[in-house]
Amino acid sequence: MGGSLSAAEVLAALYFHHLKIRPAEPDWADRDRFILSKGHANAALGAVLAQAGFIEDSVLDQFYAYESLFGMHPDIKMAGVEMSTGGLGHGLSIGLGMALGARLQKKKFRTIVMIGDGELQEGSNWEAAMAAAHQKVSNLTAILDYNKIQQSGHVSEMMALEPVADKWSAFGWAVREIDGHDMDQVVSALDDLPFEKDRPSMIIAHTVKGKGVSFSEGTHLWHNNMVPEDVYQKALAELGEPV
Amino acid sequence: MNAAKKGPDWVAKVQNQSRLSFGFAVTDMAARDDKVVAVSADTLDLIGLREMVKAVPDRVIEAGIAEQNAMGVASGLATTGMRPYLCGYAPFITARSMEQLRNDVAYAKQRVVIGAACSGITLGVSGGTHHAVEDLALMRSLPNMTVLVPADALEAWHLTQATEALDGPSYVRLGGRVEEVPVTAPDAKPVIGKATTLRRGTDIAVIACGVLVAEALKAADELAGEGIGVRVINMHTIKPLDRETVLAAAAETRGIVTAEEHHLTGGLGGAVAELVAEEHPTRMRFVGMPDEFCIVGPTPKVRERYGMTAANIMAKCRELMG
Repeated sequence: MGGSLSAAEVLAALYFHHLKIRPAEPDWADRDRFILSKGHANAALGAVLAQAGFIEDSVLDQFYAYESLFGMHPDIKMAGVEMSTGGLGHGLSIGLGMALGARLQKKKFRTIVMIGDGELQEGSNWEAAMAAAHQKVSNLTAILDYNKIQQSGHVSEMMALEPVADKWSAFGWAVREIDGHDMDQVVSALDDLPFEKDRPSMIIAHTVKGKGVSFSEGTHLWHNNMVPEDVYQKALAELGEPV
Repeated sequence: MNAAKKGPDWVAKVQNQSRLSFGFAVTDMAARDDKVVAVSADTLDLIGLREMVKAVPDRVIEAGIAEQNAMGVASGLATTGMRPYLCGYAPFITARSMEQLRNDVAYAKQRVVIGAACSGITLGVSGGTHHAVEDLALMRSLPNMTVLVPADALEAWHLTQATEALDGPSYVRLGGRVEEVPVTAPDAKPVIGKATTLRRGTDIAVIACGVLVAEALKAADELAGEGIGVRVINMHTIKPLDRETVLAAAAETRGIVTAEEHHLTGGLGGAVAELVAEEHPTRMRFVGMPDEFCIVGPTPKVRERYGMTAANIMAKCRELMG
C-alpha cells in the first residue's frame, strides 16, 4: 500500500496527461508504453487503469480474488498492462526492448518505466542502464519512485543508494529531480521529455511512502500488509475519498 | 530454403556446426522478414552473425556480456511485433537469466527464440562453470516453452527456420566449436513436435537427441551385426514431446534407451519416462550425465568417461534384451 500511494501523482499525470493511449483500443500499435517495474504498486496501477477506462471498475473488486487478473502484481493479460512484473529489476530491460522495437519500426511511441528505489539493488537495472545509454534511446524514460523505504526498512540503512542522481548521470542518462507529489513539477518534467538528444531520460521523483494517509507515511509497516476494514475506512476519510 | 539447394557455399560456411547454422538461418530469415532481429550476448562470431551485421546492421543488437538485460530486451522487442533471436552461451543464457526467461519470456508468452551455443559439455576443457547439462530440465519445466535439440547443422537450419511459425517462446540447443556428425537426410524437413525415425528395428528403441543421435546410429549399426534390431528415434523436440512415437516404441519394442548430453534428471530421459510410466510402463535405461559436476577435459574423453557413447548405448540395449 505504501508503495502505491507514493506513486499516485506520477501515475495520474502519466495516464491523464502524458501517455498517448486509447483505452478502448488497448493494443493500438502506436500507443505509448508504460511498465510498472515496481510491480507491487499494482493497486495504484489498477485504479488508474479503471479510471482511464481500460478496465471496468468492477475489476477493482477482484483484487486478490480467485482467478482474478488483478492480483498483487500486474498481469499482461489484463487490458492496459504492458508486461507482467513483480520480480524486481526486469522492467527497464523490457522497456529498452520496447524502445528499440519502436526505433527499428520507425514508430513514434515512447516507453516509460517506473522503478523503485529498493529495486535498484537488483544488478540487472545497471545492465539495462548501461545498455540504454549505449543504444542512445531518447524514447526511453525511467521514473524512480524514490520513497526512501523498502520492505524491511529505510533504503539508506539497507543498501546506500546515494548519490543516485550522479550514478545515473555517470551511466549516460539525462537526469532531473522533482518532488513526485507536486503535480506541476511532475507534469513539467513529463512535458520536457526527452531531456536530451540521444540519451535516455531519468526522472528521480522524491516521494513519501504511504503519502496521504497519516499513519502510513514514512514507514515500511504498510509495504506488504493487508489493510483491515477499520484502517481502510480511516485511510479513505483522510484521503477525502467517498466511503 | 534447404541445404541441398544452397550447395557447397552453405556447407563451407556452416562447417557442420549447429551454432553457425543457427546464425546463418537467422541471417537468411532477416533478409526476407524485416521484423527478424538478433540480440547477441557477445556472440557475434560464436553464433555466426557477422554476415547479418553487414547485411542489416540495425537488426543485430549487441547486448554485451549481460544475459539478464539481453533476455528482457528480447522480451520487450517481441511485445512490439519484432521477432527476436537471442544468441548466447547455453550455460549463461539459461541459468544466469533464468528469472527473466521465466517471467518476461515464458510467463508473458513472448515469441523469443533463444539460440544456446556450447551446450552440454562441448566446452569440456572450460570446466563445470561452462557446461550446460541442466538446461533442458530448466527449459522443459517452463509452461509455454518449445524445446528443440537439433542433431546436426542441417537440422539446426530447418528447426530454426521452423520457429517462424511458433506463437510462443522457444529454446534451440546448439553445439560448440566442433564439427557435428551429419545424421539427418539431405532432403529431410523436420517438423517441430514430430520425431524422426532413423532406423526401424523392433527389438529395442533408442531415443536420442543432439550429438547422441550419431552415437545411437553407430550403436544400432553394430548391434544389427549381432542380430539385434534397434529403432533409432531422433527426438529433436523435447517439448512438446512426440507422444505417439514414444508410445509406439514402448508398445512395439522390448524396452527404451534414452541418450542425451545432459543430466539424467529432467531432460529427454525424464520426459520419456514420465510419459511411459503413465501410459505404457516400459523397461528403460538412461544414457547421460550422472548426478555430479563434470570433470575438466577434452570433450570426447569426457563423454567417454560418463558413458555418453555408442558403446554404452549398446551395453544398455543388451541389458534390455536379457
